Amino acid sequence: MSGLPIEPPETMIEARNLSKTFGTVRALDSVHLSVPRGSVLGLLGHNGAGKTTLVGILTTALTPTSGTASVAGHDVVHQPHEIRRRIGLTGQFASVDGQLSGRDNLLLIARLLGAGRRAARARADELLELFALQDVAERRARTYSGGLRRRLDLATSLVGHPEVVFLDEPTTGLDPEARLGLWEIVEGLVTEGATVLLTTQYLEEADRLADSITVLSGGRVIADGTAAELKAAVGRRTVTVTLDPAADLESAVAALRRAALEPSVALQNDSLVIPIDASKDVATVIRALDQAGAEASELSFGEPTLDDVYLALAGRTPVPVRSGSPALSEGSAA
Amino acid sequence: MSATVTPDATTITEVAPAAPRRQKWPDSSVFLQIRVLTTRSLRSMATDPGVVLFGLLQPVIILFVLTQVFSKMGAPPNFPAGITYLDFILSAVLVDNAVQSAVQSGVGLVDDLKNGVVARLRSLPIMPSSLLIARSLANLVRSAVQAVVILALAFGVLGYAPAGGATDVAASVGLTLFMSWALGWAFIAAGAWLRRAEPMQNLAVIAILPLMFASSAYMPVEDLPGWLAAVAGVNPLTYAIDATRALALGIPGADAIVPALVIGCVIAAVGGVLAVLGFRRPLH
Repeated sequence: MSGLPIEPPETMIEARNLSKTFGTVRALDSVHLSVPRGSVLGLLGHNGAGKTTLVGILTTALTPTSGTASVAGHDVVHQPHEIRRRIGLTGQFASVDGQLSGRDNLLLIARLLGAGRRAARARADELLELFALQDVAERRARTYSGGLRRRLDLATSLVGHPEVVFLDEPTTGLDPEARLGLWEIVEGLVTEGATVLLTTQYLEEADRLADSITVLSGGRVIADGTAAELKAAVGRRTVTVTLDPAADLESAVAALRRAALEPSVALQNDSLVIPIDASKDVATVIRALDQAGAEASELSFGEPTLDDVYLALAGRTPVPVRSGSPALSEGSAA
Repeated sequence: MSATVTPDATTITEVAPAAPRRQKWPDSSVFLQIRVLTTRSLRSMATDPGVVLFGLLQPVIILFVLTQVFSKMGAPPNFPAGITYLDFILSAVLVDNAVQSAVQSGVGLVDDLKNGVVARLRSLPIMPSSLLIARSLANLVRSAVQAVVILALAFGVLGYAPAGGATDVAASVGLTLFMSWALGWAFIAAGAWLRRAEPMQNLAVIAILPLMFASSAYMPVEDLPGWLAAVAGVNPLTYAIDATRALALGIPGADAIVPALVIGCVIAAVGGVLAVLGFRRPLH
């Protein structure tokens, strides 16, 4: 910390009214973002929601059609060079030179970032170790498996000790073990003080890694907040009751309705899913079943998942219209 | 460039994954960027000899096939006196090699665009055109290496005996390499705009083969059929071949040297500008 001449700003990623159109397609529509230093923002959305376009603008690969954005206190349109000095980018597809060895890929980037030969070698060694790539360091990257390439790709984007790291669907196509390893690395980055913007289609991933989550659909922000806030705002807790075979399903349903609950019958026909608003409603459920003389063989309590959040929010908004396709294609996720 | 090595190296070895952030390296100079990226291109060529061999294939085949097929034929009326057919076409073979190498520099750029290297480089604080310049320099080196192989074959195996002195032959080869560098920019520009390998290869086949045959490469222009002679007369490759041939063989045609140099400069300048413009466009 001691060597920094100017203390970097507290808000490391900021977007105001950011829009981007490609021809007639509105890829981003008045997006607002604010990511404090040292935090992880999870950008959640399906294919075509605008995640990659947003990352493209923030990493200065694309220019916005309107609105402003800054990264590490620098404007994306007017100070792209300053931003590139401070960011690391891992795109959707591994950007490594297959002709070069893993080590040479890292050395190349370190030299381009201004490291001397020795400094570059030291940094490459360090990253090879951190990403457990020592054994394959001298092999050409084109012989790597998908997981190895991903790891090398991420290592490459961290060569310059970036202050802000952009990870565009970093775990797409990874096996569960590799995904877990990558999550740990991202968590390590944050401990190191980096700010991370992570796009993902995996709700589990956003839930696990992100301090706050922004949900994109059709180029618009349709929700943001912490995982808990989103769940509270949209998802409802449920009680699932599996009835004893002897119990009468219909009288149980009628009793629950009288208690102002809205049970729905699940697939197996002998279990009921009952959305509830508060914990005390669990008692109401049990009382109603008792009155109906229905014996429950199993009773479970379900927290809403981010999947519910995502479906509830994203399902409402049309997915982005690709040129040439009809205007409405509602809720592709359902 | 290496002034900051020691402090950096000591700081770095101490940095554990969870250590505090360190100071930035100073930006690399454009010169260093070009050098590092050129070395990278050359290294992939060196570790993949197949690429260089493939580039040599067409010139060497033409060298052997044409000399074997046509050397026993009666000389066409306008053929320069006292010159063997091998001596005559070697300049053309070298120019063909230069063109093939130029095509490869465009193909290399397309590969970089496809495999994400360009996307990576664009997120770095470097001058993006460094990659283009590096590609063009690597092309020059490749062209030179291949020219040495062809000359070795011609001298050692086929008995090439150019009438010009060593200096003139060297100047001839130098002019060929200049043309390769200039044409390289045309193909780098094509790669920057087309961005896909297939149209690049098609362009190479469709443009290069006719350009080579509709020129003074394998037959004096005066001996070509009328319409072909007309095309050959305005074909820039004719100037390049006439100039390099005149130098190597000490025959008339040296007046093509200046036009060849001018044409090369124009191709390099226009190609360079188009390459930068095409390369600047967003990737998606």
